[in-house]
Amino acid sequence: MTETVAPPRPPIGLTLRSLVRADTTVMLRSRQALILNFILPIVILVTTNRGKLGNTGFLIGMAITYGLLSSALIGYSITVARDREAGVFQRLRVTPTPTWAIMASRLGVQLVTSLVVGIVVLVVGSIMHDTYYTPGEYLLLLAVAVLGGAVFLSIGQALVGLVKSATAINAIGRVLFILLILVGILGSTGILGDDFKNIAAWTPVGALINLFSGVLSLSTWGATETGALLVCFGYIVVFAVIGIRWFRWEPQ
Amino acid sequence: MEVARVSDAEGPLILEVQDLVARYGAQTAVDGLSFSIRRGEIFGLLGPNGAGKTTTLSVIEGLRKPDGGRVTVDGADTERSALSVKAKLGVQLQASSFQSELTIEQLARLYSGLYGLNLQRRQLRERLADAGLAQEAAKPFKKLSGGQQQRFSLMVATIHDPPILLLDEPTSGLDPQSRRQLWDRIEGSRRRGGSILLTTHSMEEAQAVCDRVAIIDRGRLQALGAPNELVAMHREDPRVLAVSRGDVTLEDVFIGLTGSAIRD
Repeated sequence: MTETVAPPRPPIGLTLRSLVRADTTVMLRSRQALILNFILPIVILVTTNRGKLGNTGFLIGMAITYGLLSSALIGYSITVARDREAGVFQRLRVTPTPTWAIMASRLGVQLVTSLVVGIVVLVVGSIMHDTYYTPGEYLLLLAVAVLGGAVFLSIGQALVGLVKSATAINAIGRVLFILLILVGILGSTGILGDDFKNIAAWTPVGALINLFSGVLSLSTWGATETGALLVCFGYIVVFAVIGIRWFRWEPQ
Repeated sequence: MEVARVSDAEGPLILEVQDLVARYGAQTAVDGLSFSIRRGEIFGLLGPNGAGKTTTLSVIEGLRKPDGGRVTVDGADTERSALSVKAKLGVQLQASSFQSELTIEQLARLYSGLYGLNLQRRQLRERLADAGLAQEAAKPFKKLSGGQQQRFSLMVATIHDPPILLLDEPTSGLDPQSRRQLWDRIEGSRRRGGSILLTTHSMEEAQAVCDRVAIIDRGRLQALGAPNELVAMHREDPRVLAVSRGDVTLEDVFIGLTGSAIRD
């Protein structure tokens, strides 16, 4: 039904639908997001050699983790910081829209993006590495992809909560991205030694890679994988609390 | 640019600001400000830079909480009924910013949805055409000229036909043609029964279009009344006479009451 007379309080369904549609369009229009989220993880799959860095599960997990990290941490935090600085949030907040709806829409679109990143990389990876996964394994891998998206989103939220300047967030986000990748992926391979491998297993990237490997060989699921699962939930709670508690809507 | 005026006594109140206080740390930006606006009234909030105009608007818009006092819109408290109040306000911010990836048609669709209007594409196109933006529907906001940006911002602010419109320096940076067109649109909104609260640095404009103005400085009310009444009231004020260069104007009253020193 077409409403042409504004109601006293807009229905929340219409509000959310309008926000999600706009946020999805913004996401789809971002060429940088497309390259970072999809093309680079696929380049990783193409260029990695199965024998040297790890098994197929590890490589696919690494590629998905990379895609999640770039979309959920870099993409999300930079977009939020830029919109805050430009006054986009101020404009939205003078409408009768609850602030939770503004954020829920953005987070929801990012989580769906994480799921799509997971599906695309998983399908391409299994074709390239000539590997067959059961429907159950697919579902578990996608569940880990969404969990990973949530971990990196919460880190991104903490970043925009603690830092106000979009330029600073851009710089810190990229340094954080490199650090997490280096520590998580290089550490997990064991190249830097066993001690480093043990530490890396508890980092967000290391824990996720362990989870990806774990769900592909459920028969060997053990304390490491359970610990990785718990630590991921821990990261989500801690960083989300920090990000929400200290988040400010106003530009500097 | 003369417009029909509403006398003080007419119509019920749509906005009431009572003893408003707003602070930034130790600095008091608004200090016990009170005024009210009636339905169908165009009310100007005048003051030098840093006088507290934008802060006052921010409290009314629900962007910040007051540190004291109370604001009601159509009888509803802006703090207790924040979302219901926002549904009654049309807001044009000093620097409107919209998502740069969206076209203005997509933005119009977003904001109509946020005000509870499920407009179809044809209706959105009609609204854009009314604002003289039919040819620009596929452009992002930043690709519009200054006048087009103002028209689009005003279109978004009035998309739900609000009973009160808040405009923060709406004509700043506009050429005379765009300014005149904007005032025609604002006058149209008033003819439909809407009230307008605006801030401006142009005393000529305030004198021409506002039914009443409040002159504020350092967050405090200095004078309140119809522009011509304020001029008549302060015609003999030594502070005003000291800055006047002939017939006393609203600008003379403004400078007389707020001082000649430049504010940043």
